[in-house]
Amino acid sequence: MKASARLVVGLDSHGNSVVRVLRSQSPLTLVPARRVGPVALVHLVSSVTSPLGGDALELSVEVGPGASLDLRGVAATLMLPGPTGLPSSSVVRFAVEGAVRYLPEPTVVTARARHTAVVEAELDSHAELSLREVLVLGRAGETAGTLSTSVRATRCGKPLLHQQLIVGSPLDSSSAGLAGKRVVGTSLMLDAVSRPSDGGAWWNVVPLAAGGSLATALGDDVVTVTRVLDAI
Amino acid sequence: MLTALILADSRFPGGGHVHSGGLEEAAARGLVVDEPSLESFLHGRLLTAGLLAAGFAAAAARGEDLELLDAELDARTPSPAQREASRAQGRGMLRAARRAWPSARLSSLPPSPHQPLVIGVLVDEPYEAALTCAYLAVSGPASAAVRLLGLDPFGVNAIVAALPVEDVAARACKELPALGSPALDLLAEAHVRREGVRLFGS
Repeated sequence: MKASARLVVGLDSHGNSVVRVLRSQSPLTLVPARRVGPVALVHLVSSVTSPLGGDALELSVEVGPGASLDLRGVAATLMLPGPTGLPSSSVVRFAVEGAVRYLPEPTVVTARARHTAVVEAELDSHAELSLREVLVLGRAGETAGTLSTSVRATRCGKPLLHQQLIVGSPLDSSSAGLAGKRVVGTSLMLDAVSRPSDGGAWWNVVPLAAGGSLATALGDDVVTVTRVLDAI
Repeated sequence: MLTALILADSRFPGGGHVHSGGLEEAAARGLVVDEPSLESFLHGRLLTAGLLAAGFAAAAARGEDLELLDAELDARTPSPAQREASRAQGRGMLRAARRAWPSARLSSLPPSPHQPLVIGVLVDEPYEAALTCAYLAVSGPASAAVRLLGLDPFGVNAIVAALPVEDVAARACKELPALGSPALDLLAEAHVRREGVRLFGS
């Protein structure tokens, strides 16, 4: 299944963030909340089982100056292999002049799934973006499939963060990889808030070189990892 | 080739011997205790931090813009402890290199450059620069393991010799890698926070 969806949010003359363009294509179904306010809330609903092997999904999100968007998932995503053995892919592009919070629910990389996920974000000088990603290596008792996930965020063209993570390789068990943990969570916060380095045995929050912070947590279950990220 | 050999030699006075690439923290936590767990650590380090460093050394050797590379490597190194370790080793290498191989391009490096950029400029041939960097990404932690854990030097040397350093160097020449390692980032930051005696700077 190939699908592309687009969401554009802008600021109206009353100071409310409003959805100006909303183009869904199954399985990428965008559901705006019926409310008026400074922050627009949109849920990203997977309206067909996806991603399956062979799927190619694209979502483009634009947020204008002064506007603010909360984009949330509603359920965990199961990455599944398809009948053809083909890999699947997803690309999410953000063009931000206002503020975006993207909070999808956890993603489970099931056995034999082969997926490539890419997030690209370009921010203007005062834009803010926060992104969360929680990956689970397989369902209970299951060996994970393979996933390559990468994030590249730039501000006015200059790189802020560029990270790729591979799941489902010998790196999973290496203490210089995922250290045998089943759940890895990251929370990227590109804003003007200054957060000093802090951390515990398997989590930390660090300031990035060109501004913003990244929180990382490894754990054996989603609850532990999500709690750590929520507390930062 | 001789420059690459000198840079990869543990007797090169660039200050690399004070860095363990996360091995000291991994050993302190009991994550690396013997040859099999060291092999897994070194393999993971080679494929993540090693590939990343080798890719930037190759790009610098190809003559790409050093300021852009410096910013791109910062963006791929979220841990401040790892950025500082890379720049400290870059400074140390640069200090020794200014005497040994003075050149205009060496002077065009930023004042506190990431080590892979210094290696790229000095070695000046992409594959050799990548190979030097990939090797250094594992040889330092390997010798730290011998010192910290009292492992058999012959056994550790055999592990290093069997690692796919050449494959990683060849891959590093194709495109700028961005592969991260969450555990190495966590270990590097925890090492800085650790109280008490530390033998290594990273």
